[in-house]
Amino acid sequence: MTNRSLFLQILLLVAIVLFCLFPFYWMVTTSLKDQVVALASPPVWTFAPTFDNYIEALFEDKVGASLINSLIVAVSTTLLALVLGAPAAYALARFEFRGKRDLWFWFITNRMVSPIVLALPFFLIVRSLGLLDTHLVLILIYLTFNLPIVIWICTDQFRSIPRDLDEAATLEGASQFRIFRSICLPLAAPGLAVSAIFSFIFSWNELMFALVLTRTAAKTAPAIAVGFMEGYNLPYGKIMATSTLIVIPVIIFALIASKQLVRGLTMGAVK
Amino acid sequence: MRMKSAVRGLALGAAASLSLSAGQAFGWSLEEAAKPYAGTTVDVVFLLRPGYEAAEEMLPEFEAATGIKVNIIKHPYENALGEQVRDFVAGGDLDIALIDLVWIGNFAENEWIVPLEKFTSNPDLADPELDIDDFFPLVLNAFGAWNDTVYGLPFDNYSGLMFYNSCMLKEAGFDGPPKTWTELKDVYGPALTKDGKYAFALQSKRNETQSADSFARVLWPFGGSFLDKDFKSNLLSEESQAGLKFRQELMQYMPEGIVAYDHAETVNALAQGDVAMITEWSAFYSTLTSPETSKLGDCFGVAPEPMGPAGRKPALGGFSLAVASQADEDEQAAAYLFIQWVTSKANAKRYLDMGGVPARQSVYKLPGVAEQYQFVDALVESWQDGVPEFRPRFAEWPEITEIVQEWGTKIMLGDVTTEEGAAELGKRMEAVLEEAGYYAGEKPLAQ
Amino acid sequence: MQAGRVSRLTVFGFLGPAVLSLALIGIVPLVFAIYTSLHKYQLTNLRRTPFLGLENYQTVLSDPSFWDAMQRTMTLLVIVLPLQLMIGMGIALLLHRPGLGFLKTLTRLSLVVPMATTYAVVGLLGQITFNLKYGVVNQLIGFLGFDPVNWLGDPTNAFITIAFWDVWQWTPFCALVLLAGLTTVPGEIEEAARLETKKWWTILRHVQLPFLIPGLTAILILRTADTLKLFDMVFTLTRGGPGSSTELISLLIQRVGFRVFDQGLASAQAIILLIITILLSQLYIRLIYREVEQ
Repeated sequence: MTNRSLFLQILLLVAIVLFCLFPFYWMVTTSLKDQVVALASPPVWTFAPTFDNYIEALFEDKVGASLINSLIVAVSTTLLALVLGAPAAYALARFEFRGKRDLWFWFITNRMVSPIVLALPFFLIVRSLGLLDTHLVLILIYLTFNLPIVIWICTDQFRSIPRDLDEAATLEGASQFRIFRSICLPLAAPGLAVSAIFSFIFSWNELMFALVLTRTAAKTAPAIAVGFMEGYNLPYGKIMATSTLIVIPVIIFALIASKQLVRGLTMGAVK
Repeated sequence: MRMKSAVRGLALGAAASLSLSAGQAFGWSLEEAAKPYAGTTVDVVFLLRPGYEAAEEMLPEFEAATGIKVNIIKHPYENALGEQVRDFVAGGDLDIALIDLVWIGNFAENEWIVPLEKFTSNPDLADPELDIDDFFPLVLNAFGAWNDTVYGLPFDNYSGLMFYNSCMLKEAGFDGPPKTWTELKDVYGPALTKDGKYAFALQSKRNETQSADSFARVLWPFGGSFLDKDFKSNLLSEESQAGLKFRQELMQYMPEGIVAYDHAETVNALAQGDVAMITEWSAFYSTLTSPETSKLGDCFGVAPEPMGPAGRKPALGGFSLAVASQADEDEQAAAYLFIQWVTSKANAKRYLDMGGVPARQSVYKLPGVAEQYQFVDALVESWQDGVPEFRPRFAEWPEITEIVQEWGTKIMLGDVTTEEGAAELGKRMEAVLEEAGYYAGEKPLAQ
Repeated sequence: MQAGRVSRLTVFGFLGPAVLSLALIGIVPLVFAIYTSLHKYQLTNLRRTPFLGLENYQTVLSDPSFWDAMQRTMTLLVIVLPLQLMIGMGIALLLHRPGLGFLKTLTRLSLVVPMATTYAVVGLLGQITFNLKYGVVNQLIGFLGFDPVNWLGDPTNAFITIAFWDVWQWTPFCALVLLAGLTTVPGEIEEAARLETKKWWTILRHVQLPFLIPGLTAILILRTADTLKLFDMVFTLTRGGPGSSTELISLLIQRVGFRVFDQGLASAQAIILLIITILLSQLYIRLIYREVEQ
């Protein structure tokens, strides 16, 4: 009985792992195939790998530069979202003021606006400011979906910190800012970490704004990958090589942070 | 250094027909003409297609000779229109417009592009060897001109051709490809569709491919058209319906899921020996003959598209380059010099050898060209009697093509009958044209 | 109680930067979008942009393609969301059980991979793996004795394909959120319950569920909002085809705005979509998430 259930458990876990990883595996192997092998029918599982796709992607199509662009944008916007979002979340969790609930909801609403509606207005505004094709524009615009996430997760996180701590500090005459910085912020680390992870992933993967608002200098990696999709010729190997290059860094980052992910994703459940 | 204005006056308008003016050419050279513009950068959108790679390879020579820097921004076809429209609307950086023939009405009416006359009439810029009559008249007219004004010079040029697998045809007892569409369907279709192989594939994905390669392709040879002479829908006419019904019947000889086939899938199906015949753009010649991308080898064959009851009327498509009006004077001049150079008679052979398809008549008459490139005869023939309005080229096409794409695929999938689909399509198409003011007489009925 | 009372200046000091920046970045373009939605704003013909009042909105509300796309989006939502929740819950419960430490760590790490994969890349991957001829999926089901399926060329199958990839990508997210929720259940309560009953269902329903509510609400809101604006993956996978079978609402808006260039109509569509999204989220919050109101 227990043996059977143990066996079943192992089977299920292995199935989950395979389910999650198989597409990734297929992406990596396809990236090592040349065009004829990639389009073989039925697909082949063993073949002589080639790195031509990577060489072409990195040296001819400037995927390397676009990865750096993605990195600059994702890191900056994440930091900015944390700096702006954490104090706001603290205020929403701790202070009493009118319209608090509406304000919280307004923050969250920004996450719901479809980027398609904002893309063209942004384009025209950014264009008139002469900021088209710059990192700064993406960094700022990505705040529209990162800031809500940071505020959401962190508000819940701050709320789960017992109030006795800062009440004691208030009695000792500490300023709100000191309580926030020295007492609550360290305790909210898991929430900050999780919102940072999500901000980073969302920004790294964003496509719509990147397509519309960048051209060459600030073009991010997903925009480059989609640009290879010409109905005339689908270089599957190269597309998968580029995809692998895009996905690997964010997966590594997410794996490193995955412990935090489970600790901080409690979305405000009372501890 | 520059010619005096009096001389310029004399040369006005003459540049267009200067093919025998080599004698006057002593004063003109690209280097001299470009001198005032050295250091200028011109921005242009390129596609990821063979003709553009060829031009990119040739580019260093132009830059070395002129000191003009050409900044290429690459986009897939499906994004190229949106990218350019947004740039022009916002007064952006593009100095050259890349114009698919169906965009020309739009670009011209918005005055985003400059009539060529401005440059050809300027002897400082106009190459005496320009010889504009050397372009296939149909191609120049369809790709580069709108309302009798020439804006762009044909750069990346296509005509529909039939590519086939002669070995599969031979095996089934055919000496050559079908001459007519009906023959293709009734004789070749049943004979070649068996054992998981199909006689034919017609790229029909729901994007411009559906409009240009699939829908329009069956409309014209059967005598149909999008619009009648009053600009009302002609899709319910007997001829148009015959074409659309023909496509439905032909589908039994095509692979499953043909509505998801774009060019790449279709060409690959022929290249891998899964279908016997396709009708595709001339530009795929190199893909289908290269052993790296095709298994066909000696089995490769090319012919003009089959004829319909109304004649051949093959698919027509291609791109011209025109100077963008948002560019400043220097950029405009530099842009023109590049366009003139890359489409020139002198460069046509090299462009062809590198994988491009020039629209210069002279290059196809050169000795050896027709032997080296099997597609030449078929191409030249199809550029004799094509239909410029194969797809209407007016400003409203971007809106209308979306309707054609949606309802064209719905018809193919059997969601609606050809009549229902055509009726709905016609209704929506007319609504767009109504709003544009064609029926109120605000706009000339030009397509 | 008294800890919450602070001066307005302090409140502003904490909230001001976030509010101001989001207002600037988020509201200005939205106002512009509202402006265009009230005009004929055809990008390829900006010489004429007459004021239309609510005509664009009328057009949208009476346009069958808008409602078809909306229906498709909702269908996708009601198919994938329960699947993601149920499978995610199953995975979370499995991982929450003691034992098999290494394998569970490996599973938890694997779950991160789909979640982190770029959405556009997921679509590209889908194109390759679900291709009728050279796709590995048809090969795999062939091993099991099934005939190849025309995944991307058939309307229903194409819809199933995008549903599959959405489930692949977001089930792990649900699993991790729910797993995090399970860890918040105090150990002594859970153990006491386990002494009383062996039925996992009873424990889930009466002991664990209350702790999962915040996570569930978050999932509902986030997944609903994200499905309503789902674009990248479908765009790279099917571009809305074949026919209109996978043209979700955001693909329709993108097509109208960026391919037909009717920015006025597209804005009206997007604003109606936004209103629907907000209403749905409010509903979720009213129904289950009362914490903020305390």
